[in-house]
Amino acid sequence: MADYQLIIIGGGLSGIAAGIRAARFGRKTLILEQHSLPGGLNSYYFRQGHLLETGLHAMTNCALPGDKRAPLNRLFRQLHLSRKQFVLREQIGSEIRFSGRKLAFANDCRLLEEEIAREFPAVIDRFRLLRREILQYDPFQPGPWRSARQFLAERLGVPLLEDMLLLPLMIYGNAEEHDMDLGQFAIMFRAVFEEGFFRPVGTMREFLELLVNQYLHFGGAIRYRCPVAKILVAHGRIQGVRLADGEELTAEAVLSTAGIPETIRLSGWDLPQDPYCGRMSFMETIALLPSTYAGGRDWQQTIIFYHTGKQLRYQRPSTFIDTSWGVICFPENFQDQIPAELRQVRVTNAANYSLWKALSTSEYLSGKEQWATASIRASEEVIGPYQHAVVYRDSFTPLTIERYTRKAHGAIYGSAVKIKDGVTPWPNLFIAGTDQGFLGIIGAMLSGITVVNRHLLQ
Amino acid sequence: MTREEIKDVILEIIADIDEEAEFDQLDANAPLRDQLDLDSMDFLDIVMELRKRYKLQIPEDEYPELATLTSCVNYLEPKLKDV
Repeated sequence: MADYQLIIIGGGLSGIAAGIRAARFGRKTLILEQHSLPGGLNSYYFRQGHLLETGLHAMTNCALPGDKRAPLNRLFRQLHLSRKQFVLREQIGSEIRFSGRKLAFANDCRLLEEEIAREFPAVIDRFRLLRREILQYDPFQPGPWRSARQFLAERLGVPLLEDMLLLPLMIYGNAEEHDMDLGQFAIMFRAVFEEGFFRPVGTMREFLELLVNQYLHFGGAIRYRCPVAKILVAHGRIQGVRLADGEELTAEAVLSTAGIPETIRLSGWDLPQDPYCGRMSFMETIALLPSTYAGGRDWQQTIIFYHTGKQLRYQRPSTFIDTSWGVICFPENFQDQIPAELRQVRVTNAANYSLWKALSTSEYLSGKEQWATASIRASEEVIGPYQHAVVYRDSFTPLTIERYTRKAHGAIYGSAVKIKDGVTPWPNLFIAGTDQGFLGIIGAMLSGITVVNRHLLQ
Repeated sequence: MTREEIKDVILEIIADIDEEAEFDQLDANAPLRDQLDLDSMDFLDIVMELRKRYKLQIPEDEYPELATLTSCVNYLEPKLKDV
């Protein structure tokens, strides 16, 4: 008999959610996480006594208890967690800023509608029709790739507005460069503009504890600092895994959340890695300031999506980072949030993995400093000067992401080509998470759940 | 198990799956999914829970037998008669 019925590679959100499902229905399950903490892309770390989060700016898909069809509430039912006991804090308000033009939005899409009526009065009726069409669109129906850009251009015909709507949706969940699949666009439109942003009470640490405790409660096992070195294959089936220290564990099935390129490497899957290495990666700089620092009206926002160039270039930049567009997030600016001793500003810009990868250690360290400063400077053009008040700052780059999460090339949204059914050439190896197709925190968890439901429970 | 006991088990399983489920107005002969606003993932949980508790294997093509409370009881009665 195998050591485990299911081994899950990766203790990120998709892995833990998958683990909860399997363990809840009696499968002997083991999660193997290479890092000392759970969370994967959405984890946390400590610097000088400060808990810093690695991924979470905000969760999407805000929903009140009682709305049973809302993705968030479906997720809670699947994980057997009480939605009533889960306290969330909604965003205060966010903005999309393009050189002097701006659209505010919050968790009621009517605000966005009013804003579009104000900034683009000629096309407000077209936007209303578009919104209705997106609500009726079924993004889960299998079908060929459709261009979201073309869809928008045909319906709105105002390139500036199209770019403004695309920016937040791309930044929070598009693995492709330049354009995105219409289905993915529809999912993100609902997640961000219709349902909106929230944060769980506390930090990512408490949210991960809630999930891991649920997994342990159902009898699941998790091992940290346990990198998988190889997925063992024999007689056309997966036999188990070999850990970096040589230990071998057998399993009836393996679920990999490490991404397609890494799963190819671990299993010897006869596929080229390159087409599955996503090109969109990011550098993020977290700046800490005294909580008393008052930075003006913009500092009351939750998230600002900015673009200062002429045409939006959602692509891997030709320089280390592209500061012409990005996200500025104030993680304290959620409703009823209790202020911490220090407040954070997080600035995220697209980054070029290959350029970062080519640096020597000393070049890398000085590059990080140099580009973090450039990133903050670019954000100061949007929200006013604050560099002088920063008491501590830290950055992560595509290399940091790759090292801690094994997402090839630090591509946080994974491959532009997804394997939506989670199936591999082996009957008992499946993939879940970023490269299965759902993105973001809620999406990643739904991915783990659906792959287990479909292939391992029925 | 009696028909009444089977009915209680089904309702208990649903209550466990959905903390907001309300049974006051439930029509035993109308589809559970529509009345309780359950989706296919919730429905799978009813099947999984029956399997976990009673080692019952319900093939996918027989899921429609579980559509209403009455049809659940009819379908499960012979399977659970010795439980």
